[in-house]
Amino acid sequence: MSSPLLELRGCTIRFGGLTAVSNLSQSIESGELVGMIGPNGAGKTTVFNIITGVYKPTDGNVLFQGKSITNLQPYQITKAGIARTFQNIRLFQSMSVLDNVRVAFNKNLRTKLFSAIAHMPAQAQEEEDVLEESMKMLQMFDLTSVKDERSGSLPYGAQRRVEIVRALATKPRLLLLDEPAAGMNPTEKVDLMQLIKRIRDALNISILLIEHDMKFVMGICERIFVLDYGEKIAEGSPERIQSDPRVIEAYLGDQE
Amino acid sequence: MLKTHRDKIIFLCGIALVLILSRFTDSINAYYFQIIIYIGINIILAESLNLINGFTGQFSLGHAGFMAVGAYTSAAITYYIGPHLIHGHSPVGEQLFFFTALLAGGCLAAFVGLLVGVPSLRLKGDYLAIVTLGFGEIIRVIMQNLNFVGGPRGFSGIPFYTTFAWTYVFVIVVIFLTENLMRSTYGKGFLAVRDNEIAAEAMGINTTKYKVVAFVISAFFAGIAGGLFAHYLTYIKPDNFTFLKSIEIVVMVILGGMGSTVGAVFAAIVLTILPELLRTVAEYRMVIYALLLIILMLTRPQGIFGGRIDWTKLGKKLRREKKSS
Repeated sequence: MSSPLLELRGCTIRFGGLTAVSNLSQSIESGELVGMIGPNGAGKTTVFNIITGVYKPTDGNVLFQGKSITNLQPYQITKAGIARTFQNIRLFQSMSVLDNVRVAFNKNLRTKLFSAIAHMPAQAQEEEDVLEESMKMLQMFDLTSVKDERSGSLPYGAQRRVEIVRALATKPRLLLLDEPAAGMNPTEKVDLMQLIKRIRDALNISILLIEHDMKFVMGICERIFVLDYGEKIAEGSPERIQSDPRVIEAYLGDQE
Repeated sequence: MLKTHRDKIIFLCGIALVLILSRFTDSINAYYFQIIIYIGINIILAESLNLINGFTGQFSLGHAGFMAVGAYTSAAITYYIGPHLIHGHSPVGEQLFFFTALLAGGCLAAFVGLLVGVPSLRLKGDYLAIVTLGFGEIIRVIMQNLNFVGGPRGFSGIPFYTTFAWTYVFVIVVIFLTENLMRSTYGKGFLAVRDNEIAAEAMGINTTKYKVVAFVISAFFAGIAGGLFAHYLTYIKPDNFTFLKSIEIVVMVILGGMGSTVGAVFAAIVLTILPELLRTVAEYRMVIYALLLIILMLTRPQGIFGGRIDWTKLGKKLRREKKSS
């Protein structure tokens, strides 16, 4: 049996006396669309930060394509093939939308510093390829018309889309989306849902997403797991999660 | 493709223009000539510091240190090795030798930039500024205690090599290379580090490496500027490279607008000429200079050319305002 794309093995992280994530084991297969839900403060973003190397787990291991990435730096993990977006948007605000996407191509550049300084022919050719690919990606997200706008000046929904394009431009095998639909109106949410599905099918990548909008999560995820106080309390198909008594209790409190 | 050729043509035209202009510099009054050379050196310094402070968003106060390393290294080479190498009169050989000495000064400065960069670039903001400030002072104190380069008495007898042509060829080369870098996809990485370090890491950018690279390139250019400075004055002393010099360069970058090449060039020109113009008011000179800086920063904190200026939009906006009024 081949190993899963991503595997968390007994990951625990403590900040002083607080155990933010406790003994979490979870795997994600190639091509899967998985949702992670849970009440506020359940440790969802912390899980993302463990996967992407922002935090080192106190205990446990993170494996990506069968290899441990637990002790890698965030940029090395991105290079290995995991990209993410942020809950509070982190665009390169002063740069144009197009340049935001171009930054993501850095990790795969063949021509390096000196050819960039001297503007060698090989580098000029690569620049054109990067430009072309960036434009293709922007087109997929309907952002070509704003490519020269300062990314910080875009409306909120468009900024979220730029963040996703930028993450995809690093050519990941696994994409982590932290509340991609936050702050969007219902029509934008429906569009985004279809878009996420389309990306997954077109690029054949796995997606793990955090989202509070239940209609959204239930609508697109094939599998969902639920965190509460840093512990996994349930896992399964959307239907099973909806009827799971522990999940209902975590969200709505005890029935008494 | 057309665009890349356009840049090269502009570059070659610039070099040609410098070479043509250099034919006429003999007739210029020595005082004006000196100002012209200082402007060139300051442009190189400002544009190189722009790489660190403007494009990469780090705050360095040690630029005079890199300049000093370049100045002393190249001067020591031309002073000590020059007489042994240059026999008879071979002007071409002499110029080539000067060029090599300048590059050597730049390389040593770059190496020092690497030494400073690797441990200190884990620091951010104010902390980094203080470390680089300390570094600049260390360089100055070392020079003060090295007797073979004159120690506190200064280093005199450096051959006079810096001409108009040398200075401005380097100005054009530095601007051209920096612009190339900043327009490239690789160069966008520096801007990404400035805008949001966490996101840059998430894009697969090794932020520490990019910061060190910015320091090294910047130090290299500063070292060259130092070499030009030494071979123009023919006499340098550690006091030329106090942290006041560093601050002067930082002011140029901020005044011109962080991360703007046009701004750095413009500010270097203005801030070199301004103190000279103000000589007429004698003792009030520095007061007025400081006041002008304060007024400018209050009215345009992003610097003269800072932020993105979109001329077409500005034009539209002005027209709209006219209509509505």
